[in-house]
Amino acid sequence: MNKSPSVLVIGGGSTGTGIARDLAMRGLDVTLVEKGNLTHGTTGRMHGLLHSGGRYAVSDQASAKECIVENRVLRRIAGHCVEMTGGLFVQRPEDSDEYFEKKLAGCRECGIPAEVLSAEEAREIEPYLATDIKRAIKVPDGAVDPFRLCVSNAASAVEHGARVETHSEVTDVLVEDGEVVGVEVTHQSGTGPYVHGKPGEVEEIYADYVVNATGAWAGQIGDLAGVDVEVRPSKGVMTIMNTRQVDTVVNRCRPKGDADIIVPHETTCILGTTDEEVEDPEDYPEEGWEVDLMIETLSELVPMLEDARTIRSFWGVRPLYEPPGTGTEDPTDITREFFLLDHADRDDLPGMTSIVGGKLTTYRMMAEKISDHVCEKLDVEAECRTADEPLPGSEDFSVLRDYMEDFGLRSPIGRRSVQRLGSRADDVLNSIDPNPVVCECEAVTRAEIHDALDTAGTDLNSVRIQTRASMGNCQGAICCHRMANELAPEYDEDIVRSSLDDLYQERWKGERHAMWGEQLSQSALKHMLHATTMNRDEDPAASDDALDFAAFDDGNQSEGGSASDGSSGGAVADGGRVSTADDTGGADGDN
Amino acid sequence: MSDAESPTNPNLSPGAQTDDFEAVEVFSESTDMDLRPGADNCYKCTACDVSCPVAEVDDEFPGPKFQGPEQWRLKRKDDAAVDDSIMSCSNCMRCDDACPSGVPLSQMHNTARGEYVEEEMDKLSREYIRNRILANYGTLAQLGSMFPRLTNAIMGNSVVQQINEKVLGITAEREFPDFATQTFREWWNERGGPKVRSEEKRVAYFHGCYSNYNTPEVGKAMVRVFESFGYEVVVPKQRCSGTPMFANGMLEDAKRAAGINVENFSGLLNEGYDIIASCTSCSMSLRQEYPELFDIDGIKDVSKHTYEALEYLRIHEDLESEVRTSSVEDQAFAYHAPCHARNQGLDRQAVELFRELDGVEIEDVGDSCSGISGTYGWKEEKYDKSMQIGADMFDHMDHAQGDVGMTECPTCSMQMEHGTGYDIKHPLQLLEEAVV
Repeated sequence: MNKSPSVLVIGGGSTGTGIARDLAMRGLDVTLVEKGNLTHGTTGRMHGLLHSGGRYAVSDQASAKECIVENRVLRRIAGHCVEMTGGLFVQRPEDSDEYFEKKLAGCRECGIPAEVLSAEEAREIEPYLATDIKRAIKVPDGAVDPFRLCVSNAASAVEHGARVETHSEVTDVLVEDGEVVGVEVTHQSGTGPYVHGKPGEVEEIYADYVVNATGAWAGQIGDLAGVDVEVRPSKGVMTIMNTRQVDTVVNRCRPKGDADIIVPHETTCILGTTDEEVEDPEDYPEEGWEVDLMIETLSELVPMLEDARTIRSFWGVRPLYEPPGTGTEDPTDITREFFLLDHADRDDLPGMTSIVGGKLTTYRMMAEKISDHVCEKLDVEAECRTADEPLPGSEDFSVLRDYMEDFGLRSPIGRRSVQRLGSRADDVLNSIDPNPVVCECEAVTRAEIHDALDTAGTDLNSVRIQTRASMGNCQGAICCHRMANELAPEYDEDIVRSSLDDLYQERWKGERHAMWGEQLSQSALKHMLHATTMNRDEDPAASDDALDFAAFDDGNQSEGGSASDGSSGGAVADGGRVSTADDTGGADGDN
Repeated sequence: MSDAESPTNPNLSPGAQTDDFEAVEVFSESTDMDLRPGADNCYKCTACDVSCPVAEVDDEFPGPKFQGPEQWRLKRKDDAAVDDSIMSCSNCMRCDDACPSGVPLSQMHNTARGEYVEEEMDKLSREYIRNRILANYGTLAQLGSMFPRLTNAIMGNSVVQQINEKVLGITAEREFPDFATQTFREWWNERGGPKVRSEEKRVAYFHGCYSNYNTPEVGKAMVRVFESFGYEVVVPKQRCSGTPMFANGMLEDAKRAAGINVENFSGLLNEGYDIIASCTSCSMSLRQEYPELFDIDGIKDVSKHTYEALEYLRIHEDLESEVRTSSVEDQAFAYHAPCHARNQGLDRQAVELFRELDGVEIEDVGDSCSGISGTYGWKEEKYDKSMQIGADMFDHMDHAQGDVGMTECPTCSMQMEHGTGYDIKHPLQLLEEAVV
């Protein structure tokens, strides 16, 4: 079963889905393959900052200029993924004036609107900023939801005829006559419109051109093709707070360093980050001190963080790249620019280009550049339209609605739903009846869950990233099973169970980095709820062994009456044994 | 001259109090309250929802967990959309007591309600006007008390009651409480103020609106009981404690009243006075809601020094011995502990005290809410729910031995009387009978 689409894109992150959309809109036949969910790699593990460019205004002005351009584009085309929070570069008394001035001048040189605020003015915007801050620079930073952004790009690509395959890992790059002609993918479990193969099935997909958009994994794909792609994966920790202590992006105004940014993200704040090179983008230590560092250092900017509740922490891996021979020691000094590596020019292997480096804010521009490159290679003449056409969901919409009248929802629920769904709100929220709230923390209704299931199949983690269900403060305690319940009756019990397991375990993965204070109470309650009502501690249904029903007493034995050997009494109410007068003790194990 | 002397000031007749509205200028504009961090304490155990008497009878009401931590956490700073269901919360504050994790639920509810009323409610709507009237009962009562007999006749007229219901949305099912022919303050002034003077034992009485205009016998009992224990009682001029205003989201009105109350009472604290209320909602308001909702000079001190009358005597006097050696005529009471008393840990005090009193049988009629919650049960659209909530209490009162009710809360007493036809007494009245 060989198919011959024109272009095969590897990687379902922001870059890959952006390229797939761009090329599909230009009329090419596009297939995108991703080994996990969309956003499985780096895109789903970023802090959600929509750069104004301010962060690079001193160290990397080329990136800064790209950022402010794309910042404006994304506000236009991805309104339902973006929240224009504004951003502050806050100077503390110990931070240098010289750098502050450089930052301000840099912003202005790059065309980034920047305004100096006094400490009072800054604290008027963000009342929880430390009282001893000196001043701040206000820039148009924002928050972006990387999940919705990717999912919308993929949806748009599909609308334009592309094929998207998630849970399909590239296990080989097909090279014939010294040219890349396609890839071999191995399908994994899962169902839905983005998953066509059967688990374990191997498929060869031929294409006129292959784009390696796997970011930190680009080296691994390169290995399969027999070329070196020198990605230097660099990990960074991000800690999620339970509530929004700030509604504006707060940056520390000093030369780059660890723990210098707080991004308000949906209902939460994300603290970031660190920058440390790792060998393997999938296997690196996640350490408690990294989390402590975030909270301690950022408390200097927002003191209440010290005692605030964190709900989880996660690590992401940057796909940093520098041309061979540059030899930068410190990963923080590696440029954030992106590189287009045409393996024909570079390695004498035509048919494939890798794209590495870059950042989410400029994903569309990167996609445009590489799409131009692919079109040139394939002799296609077509204009890029991604900067002008809004993503599905971002067509004109307003969040100011009568939520009860329009959707039958309480106003905070309706408002959050519309903020997430954008122009799709009416279609989605009125698609199902009854429409109760499934995830209370994040105000996600049954209709939105079902909408996400349309593309997620049985993958509840995909539902999670599309809707935010189970991403709130209880981390799925109240809603994991409700989400799984929506899979029935379409899917059988064993599938529903394993989908629930996947989601439940994924939640623990990040939650275990927040095991103190309130989140510890939350986790204990979550565990006990699931253990005592759903056998989460030891589920007999999950065991291969036949259940020994005879081991249960019938609850009806008369006292001391039926014990055949006469050596021990029955169980007592508190679970101990009834001791007998001649009990000598220490007889355990005697026959 | 200290403020403590002010009660004897002839200018303090109720009619003169309107001048006090000037005091509003003393406070700066309200500071926006951000309660999102309060959501950190919630781990969603749902104990608050289980404890909520409104959620139990009103399927449309999403419950305190949604109104509180969930709604606040979902807010963005500039979002101006508090859900209108906040107006169905009766402000009984049982959720505060139920929460094992210290979520400031009632503070969240009060603040959200204030925001809803301020920003979203139509100020010309019947609901707003009705709520404003109910919330400002003190002002209403002040007018009514000028001609109490006439007012009582009018308000008791069934035609007027029907008009109230149709025009204002105030239920016609309930009898308006009668205004006393002489208010407590009129009695106090006529009496010439305190009869006992003391340097050591001094209390400033917060009588609230109801004891002043409707049940002055409670206020008189308070004065006589405290004086019998050698306390100097002063009665500073005061306005409504704010309880009905919080419950209706009229935070500006409440703040004005709180400002006057704090100003008039806080000065006395340095002179050794503690603040005593005979209404448990008044003491609740001064203690908890004032410092939670307002930033006024001296408000924390007022909060710290406020007590309910019985509570105070049980702390400072050997009330139990006093009662044990007394006796009264045989009588039996069905006692209901108001929700606000429960929140202050006072739900057992009357029963514990009076079961020692010779001649008295007293029985606790259970831990349910009476259902009226101040102004809640007066609203036409809430009346049926209010009676459903109260059904347990009525039932238990029926089964109790006594046929006289007892409670500290004026509106609980209205509900008890309305549901059973019993006479209702305040614990201070029985205490007066026993020890004075």
